[in-house]
Amino acid sequence: MTLLDISQLTLDLPDGTRLLDGVSLTVAAGETVGLVGESGSGKSLTARSVLGLLPSGAVTTGSLRLDGLSVLDATAGQVLELRRSRASMIFQDPRAGINPMRTIGDHLTEGLRLCQRMPNGEAQAAALSLLESVGLPRPAEHLRQYPHELSGGMLQRVMIAGALTSSPHLLICDEPTTALDVTTQAGIIAVLAEQRAARGMGMLFITHDLNLAASICDRVVVLSAGRVVEQGDAREVFLHPHAEYTQRLLAATPTLSRPRERVVAAPSDAPATLAPPAVLAPPAADAMLSVRSLSKEYHRRGKEPVAAVVEASFEIPRGGALGVVGESGSGKSTLARMIVGLERADAGDIRIADRERTAARTRAERLAHARSVQMVFQDPYLSLDPRITAGHAIEDALRLHDSRGTADARARVLALLDQVGLGERHAQAQPRTLSGGQRQRVAIARALAIEPDVLVMDEATSALDVSVQAQVLAVVERIRRERGLTVLFISHDLAVVRRVCEQTVVMKTGAIVERGRTEEILDAPQHPYTRLLIDSVPRPEWEGERSATP
Amino acid sequence: MTPTVAIRVLRAPRVPRSSTWFLASAVVLAVFTVGAVFAPFLAPYDPDQVDLLNIQAGPSTLHWLGTDSVGRDTLSRMLYGARTALLAPLLVVVSSTILGVLLGLVAGWRGGWLDAVLGRIFDVVFAFPSLLIAIMAVALFGKGLVAPVIAMSIAYAPFVARLTRSLVTAERTRPYVAAYRVQGFSGAWIASRRVLPNVTPIIGAQSTLNFGYVLAELAALSFLGLGVQAPTADWGAMINEAQAGLIGGYVLPAIVPAVAVVLVVVAVNVIGEELSDRIGGGISA
Repeated sequence: MTLLDISQLTLDLPDGTRLLDGVSLTVAAGETVGLVGESGSGKSLTARSVLGLLPSGAVTTGSLRLDGLSVLDATAGQVLELRRSRASMIFQDPRAGINPMRTIGDHLTEGLRLCQRMPNGEAQAAALSLLESVGLPRPAEHLRQYPHELSGGMLQRVMIAGALTSSPHLLICDEPTTALDVTTQAGIIAVLAEQRAARGMGMLFITHDLNLAASICDRVVVLSAGRVVEQGDAREVFLHPHAEYTQRLLAATPTLSRPRERVVAAPSDAPATLAPPAVLAPPAADAMLSVRSLSKEYHRRGKEPVAAVVEASFEIPRGGALGVVGESGSGKSTLARMIVGLERADAGDIRIADRERTAARTRAERLAHARSVQMVFQDPYLSLDPRITAGHAIEDALRLHDSRGTADARARVLALLDQVGLGERHAQAQPRTLSGGQRQRVAIARALAIEPDVLVMDEATSALDVSVQAQVLAVVERIRRERGLTVLFISHDLAVVRRVCEQTVVMKTGAIVERGRTEEILDAPQHPYTRLLIDSVPRPEWEGERSATP
Repeated sequence: MTPTVAIRVLRAPRVPRSSTWFLASAVVLAVFTVGAVFAPFLAPYDPDQVDLLNIQAGPSTLHWLGTDSVGRDTLSRMLYGARTALLAPLLVVVSSTILGVLLGLVAGWRGGWLDAVLGRIFDVVFAFPSLLIAIMAVALFGKGLVAPVIAMSIAYAPFVARLTRSLVTAERTRPYVAAYRVQGFSGAWIASRRVLPNVTPIIGAQSTLNFGYVLAELAALSFLGLGVQAPTADWGAMINEAQAGLIGGYVLPAIVPAVAVVLVVVAVNVIGEELSDRIGGGISA
């Protein structure tokens, strides 16, 4: 039975911008439909339209029927009824979706008490059983807790429980696990699959992660720029994509398993595809970056100190690339910040190109440090000064380190931008007019302007779409080849690390638990934590021998 | 993931809704500014010229807004009065902004004990009403505008400093600042050349709001006889001088400068609010 039927939905903003262009899709009861696409493709907007959450002044055509009700023509009362009893939504960031001033119990019972006029005791009981069903360890205790007392993964379970209070026929999940670690994600996905099966709900699952979509969806709909470019059986779409866009997207998605045998017919002008890492300059004997017994503790007032990094030691040979993987809180960012000098280490030493890294006191020391190591930050939307144009930002860095003339600096800015695939047009652009990938490339060009010995990339591609990520990774790979740059690559994404790094260390709560060649670690993990990480990565059911979700 | 296009559009600032108010306010300010600057050409009479035949006269073709108790033309005095009424708050706003931004930048950027000490000093200054500080300055240094302007500049600096401090503290932890540090730029350079320009628009909007408060308080000071001294025309002083006539029913000489004060204060506040709305992040007082 068709639960949700969207046909030829278009949505225009008052200024004439067409955001959705003839979107058609259906969701049957008990079925999971994946809505995949990159940022700006209209996937969230499509999902929000189902609940009548449209941008103000938006003009829609086409039809959108949920349980037989035409949502676009519905009165305010009908839409309210729809949100109360037929469809619910789970958002990406659970911390933003729950009132921080109210208890979890309030959050869960509010809807039951106010919308369904359920007596308080009954509502409490219902909330308790829901918390149990989403797999939270101590439901009775959680009811009295506040959101800040729970972790992100636990809160997302609370959000799911909250969405289920109204026993919806359709559950819309908008990137429900994007903000979570892989191991947590695996648990959330399991809960969602279990609840869908138990309740016979339809599920519309929005994600940018193709592997995740492949692991839980029956059917997928691929969106690009507000249009449906392909839809069908999940297995069919992933194994035999017809649309060129889907092919490109799949080609750009790094996978954990060995590179597929199947050659993707990507056109030559497509963004760089992900070949296995080319064999780069053979590691030289001398270590470019050497870290020895590095430790850092954070002291919190009135609480136990937290050990962020514990006795970390590693070396990267000249021209090598080392991956650091781990979940949030594993200390990988602290490690990066100590290496670039944004944090001071409690103990241990860092040597770059055989120079001890100490606190910089004089201008000369500061500049020497900057020349030894540069960093590309996670979020290109925040790491560029909003007021300074891309060209100016690079020029600033150039002129700080090199007092050649203005004309020469300008020319080198263009050369640097060219190296990362940008042009003169981008040099004049304010950061806000650039896309995420362009910004990150500007950030890379800015770091390279200083000609550092070591480049630290802290989750530098995790905020980007897969195709953009592929471009950025290709740029990094080329620069490594051309300049022999040494890279410390920090990421939570094992597949990306596999693509970039020859050597990998795995961090857990501040300590390095496993190290070795990337392929060996990923193919034959020794430490149980590494194994857990690898097992948690979503993958299509039909791929590999490991199960998709533990 | 980043917010999708639609969400960004949703959150984008709407087309300014109250642009009529904003425009009207701008016109009011412009009229008073032009009147103040060109008072000698625009005023029909000298502000101190006494017309003994028309004392406490109502509006007429000779005296559009009537005359006061000694026969001086109210319109002319209001135009000349606008000079002190607008110039003094401008001086206060400019100097309190410079002082406040410097202190706030140092407190916010350096943090630690310096921030704590400066914060307590601001608290102490906050504890005294600005009018009281101005009156104390008058008591110490004599009547006139110079002492109150300096006193008010100091009294208003903590408002600007607090705002600057909080903006700079937030800005200091942003990744782009860390990026500058990693590139090897000095803290002083980042703070003064990059962070300061990024927070300036918000501070500017807040300072605009201060203008209105300072104007009203300086007028009050002159009304109390502690600010601008007779016979110089000033709105506060004019209201003071017209007090006696109020009982006799001659309200116009008091009403005209009072309305002028209200108009300018409201206009400045509308503009200040609108500016901080448009810039965003501004704290409306």
